[in-house]
Amino acid sequence: MIIRVLAAASIFANGAASHEMTPTYFDFKPSYVDGVYVTTMSMWNRRNDVEYYEISVFDDEWNNLPFASRDRVFRLSYLSREKIDIYIKQEDIKDVEYICTSSKQLKSDVKSTGVKSTICSRIER
Amino acid sequence: MLRSIIALGAVAVAGSAFAADTPITGNVSSKCSIYTDVAGVYGNPNPDELSTLPADGGVMPIIRYDVSIADYYTAKISWPQSFTSSPSLSDSLTWDGEVEVSATSTTDMSGYEAAKVEYDNVTEYDLTAAGSTWFKVTSNVTYGVDKSLPGGEYKAAVEALCVAN
Repeated sequence: MIIRVLAAASIFANGAASHEMTPTYFDFKPSYVDGVYVTTMSMWNRRNDVEYYEISVFDDEWNNLPFASRDRVFRLSYLSREKIDIYIKQEDIKDVEYICTSSKQLKSDVKSTGVKSTICSRIER
Repeated sequence: MLRSIIALGAVAVAGSAFAADTPITGNVSSKCSIYTDVAGVYGNPNPDELSTLPADGGVMPIIRYDVSIADYYTAKISWPQSFTSSPSLSDSLTWDGEVEVSATSTTDMSGYEAAKVEYDNVTEYDLTAAGSTWFKVTSNVTYGVDKSLPGGEYKAAVEALCVAN
């Protein structure tokens, strides 16, 4: 109970800010382009100190993989939700393991120690 | 007799009205949310040192992880190893840090601190219970050998990662 009260107090006192992405496990389906597959991720920005996020796609060794989306670094205003389509070539799908979004803070927005948040979803196998 | 039948009919209709229910269904999918509850601040206990320890005049950053379903995510938190912005520095920096569980929403998480895995500047926690976990981060940096840090603003970033298992 005390922890809950402290948690609630800290949220109100500090305006807790969060970064959220779903689904946890994604899969690909064919897109309207031949030989290209697509998955849709949903993001919600409750970080009032962050307005930009970057998408990355990795294999199981955390190497970057090529992908296409409307923007790699996109603006997501505070309390906004966005669906992001990520396109991958059919031959690369077997290598895909993680899709991650990372917060990108402007230099001017970082306090003494900022927090870079990254959430990674994993492919459904 | 007729009155009794009407009364019974009315009760039956009313009863069936009460029995009719409107279902509300919901589904909580697995997800991980990272909250920055407290932004850290460096204190300057010595001319050549910056630290987030309260004893050194700093404020420790506190990061909260919320997971809706157990065993779906791993938290990886890294203390900084460079400044994101600082005045021009001519000597080397020595970085150190620590990540610890500061509070948990359920007792199921009491083993997190003992089970954590540390390597380089990264600390990993298996989020084996659903709920909220608060992590506090200590960051300490010393400059050169007893050299004063130049005046100005120093900023560094803690990295909080939540990876699906």
